[in-house]
Amino acid sequence: MELQKKLDRILKRVEKPGRYIGGEVNSAKKDLISVKERMAFAFPDLYEIGMSYLGMQILYNAVNKEEVMYCERVFAPSPDMEKLMKEENLPLFTLETKTPLKEMNMVGFTLQYEMSYSTVLNMLSLSEIPLMSSDRGEEYPVIAAGGPCAFNPEPMADFIDLFLIGDGENLLPDVLKLHMKCREKGLSKKEFLEKASEMEGVYVPCFYEIQYNDDGTIKKLCKQNSKAPDVVIRNILPEIETADFPVKPVIPVVEAVHDRAVVETFRGCTRGCRFCQAGMIYRPVRERSTDNILNIAKAQIESTGNDELSLLSLSTSDYSHFRDLALELMDYCKKANVSLSLPSLRIDKFAFEVLDKIQEYKKSGLTYAPEAGTQRLRDVINKGVTDEDIYTSVEQAISLGWRHIKLYFMIGLPTETTEDLDGIAEIAKNIIEINKKYNGPKGGKFRLTVSVSNFVPKADTPFQWERQNTPEEFMEKHRYLESKLKIKGVTFNYHDSFTSVCEAVFARGDRRCGRALLAAHEKGCRLDGWTEHFYPDRWQNAFEESGINPDFYAFRERTEDEILPWQHIECGVSKAFLLAEREKAYSEKTTRDCRYGCAGCGINKRVKCMTEGIYG
Amino acid sequence: MAEKFIIKFSKSGYAKYTSHLDLLRFFKRAFRKSGVALKYSQGFNPHPKLGFAQPLSLGYSSSCELLEFETADNLNAEDICEAITKEMPEGLEIQWCREATGLDKPLASVCESAEYQVTIPFSADTEFLNHVKNGYLEQESITALKRRKRDKKMVETDIKAKIRRFEVRALGENTVLDVELDSGSVSNCSPELVISSFCSYAGIDTPRYDMEVERMSLKFYNNLQF
Repeated sequence: MELQKKLDRILKRVEKPGRYIGGEVNSAKKDLISVKERMAFAFPDLYEIGMSYLGMQILYNAVNKEEVMYCERVFAPSPDMEKLMKEENLPLFTLETKTPLKEMNMVGFTLQYEMSYSTVLNMLSLSEIPLMSSDRGEEYPVIAAGGPCAFNPEPMADFIDLFLIGDGENLLPDVLKLHMKCREKGLSKKEFLEKASEMEGVYVPCFYEIQYNDDGTIKKLCKQNSKAPDVVIRNILPEIETADFPVKPVIPVVEAVHDRAVVETFRGCTRGCRFCQAGMIYRPVRERSTDNILNIAKAQIESTGNDELSLLSLSTSDYSHFRDLALELMDYCKKANVSLSLPSLRIDKFAFEVLDKIQEYKKSGLTYAPEAGTQRLRDVINKGVTDEDIYTSVEQAISLGWRHIKLYFMIGLPTETTEDLDGIAEIAKNIIEINKKYNGPKGGKFRLTVSVSNFVPKADTPFQWERQNTPEEFMEKHRYLESKLKIKGVTFNYHDSFTSVCEAVFARGDRRCGRALLAAHEKGCRLDGWTEHFYPDRWQNAFEESGINPDFYAFRERTEDEILPWQHIECGVSKAFLLAEREKAYSEKTTRDCRYGCAGCGINKRVKCMTEGIYG
Repeated sequence: MAEKFIIKFSKSGYAKYTSHLDLLRFFKRAFRKSGVALKYSQGFNPHPKLGFAQPLSLGYSSSCELLEFETADNLNAEDICEAITKEMPEGLEIQWCREATGLDKPLASVCESAEYQVTIPFSADTEFLNHVKNGYLEQESITALKRRKRDKKMVETDIKAKIRRFEVRALGENTVLDVELDSGSVSNCSPELVISSFCSYAGIDTPRYDMEVERMSLKFYNNLQF
């Protein structure tokens, strides 16, 4: 049966069939005869999620600007689609040309969060591609993966042929070019992988073998191939000003989570929050010039017809010329009838001026992330926010007419005590009181949402050696907070504890954890980031059957001399710095934003750090 | 020069899986992109003035979709046509753009009926088809199961009076239905009800997902024609 007919039979029976049709405005169309290397960029989640991800648009653009290479897209099918694809024997296909993934030269997954690993396996399986890299012969595409989770690639090591560590916009096209040349010369997959492993930022896991101690910790890493490096060094773009940025992003046909034009203003962050992986692995801060950002914004708005523009970075208002940029953008957006949104803004006086202007009509909601309930704990995690900061900005927000404020906290942070939980409730109580000053003793329509997430220690952070709270501890804290936050006008949200355990296992897991992923996949786990598709019992059984003890990975404090599974992947921030930061955390000492003076993280030994000490 | 226009376009291929709301979003964006500024409604939450004459079910193709809209400036229909045609992806094709100056009511409110062509991969001879067609139409009432909006329950409904024309023919290996049904705010009948009731009457067990439906034309009160 021809493909279109087969697809027609299926698409008529699924929800949101637009997810699977491609043909979007600005999607790449190429003459397949002149294309020599074909890649499928695979996002292990639904279309609406993946299409909101800027990284995909950047890499899609970076590959497709090369005439001989063709990057297509594929997303995880929803369970209804998956079921019919299996019934009708339709393997997973790319959106652009509806080509089965197994006919690609390379399939590249982006690993944005640990709970998507099972979906990666499911997508391979729906593509009829063997899951284990050792089971894949020359006839199968090279399976690659990148993204923040690739900084501890080990749980996925058995399934992936090569990982791309760090910035991908040059690395990915280079790897594809190399693959193309190797195939032209008739070289084997192994020969290609050997050559690739010599590139900065490429990790080929099958070239390394891990030996373990009797207690389960890692004994040593044995290199199996002399061409592979001892330590894989993260690929870092020295600057992003000249890096290509998509001004014609693919426009989703089905409304995406974020349906707006986006410009990345800078990469990296100088704040140094000790729990934050992104704050470590994207160093140093590299900014785009204001002119460049404005030009990209205008070009994107013109080429997409979007009516919303957003800036993307880790801490938007840390941009060196934020004031000028914000004023110029506000001016442009007003003229172009485009609404401007500035996420992850540090709330100071200027931010309010900006927010007040851009949200003139709809003061939708203000989000604030103190992360911890007391000054002591905020010093431990180096979150440079004081009680005064919180209350001043909240008071200002309320006085300017905001009626909904959201607060984000983490629980289970190192050194946390009951006092810190009480602090969360205290902040909520005080905010409700502040509101009464402005909106009367009954508080008016004011709502305060307190969202609490469970702390998951991540690789490459000062807290990478810490133990995570057990689900029992988390649940006890949730109950405690729930009783403390029974305050009129306050909504309290928290996350599922077992999901956090799974996250913790794979965030710092070793290569053996792949067995649990395989078992979970066999039990039907996928789309585990979605509450409605997450089955804790399947995961419990998967851990048991595969002999992977989650406690060992999640709840055990590592000694500082233990060989960590990601030790051979170097992000550029030194172990000495992480240890020093950990030390300072325990003595409740903060480290200042390194724009006021270098904090010695070590990144400037790799590349020039353009922001160190600029305010000093 | 005018400020009120109608565009006629067709929807085919994979584009038929674009939903009503997604298509509306698409057109809003296409207008912004093309530089044709739409007129916005007044009020707290302004939205551009544009709308389809009749929604088209997800999965149907069509050669007769109508989109009406108002522009912020006085414009020329040919210029709009040229600008918006450039923005169409595969499967969406602009046929024409015309001024709609004389129209005082929205198209949706004056739509009367719609013609559909249903292609069923079911091989039958003409004699059989004529026989079942006559029998189907001669029933005292033609009942179909319809999901009630209020409680989502399936209830029986009589659609006989809403079927304006009903033809059946054999075309190669396929059976083709050509029907005209009430369509609009006064009286409305979904082709799905005709398909299910006819197939069940005629004993055609072809799964619904193997059939293709195309909207052929929309008809309006007062002899309005597009």
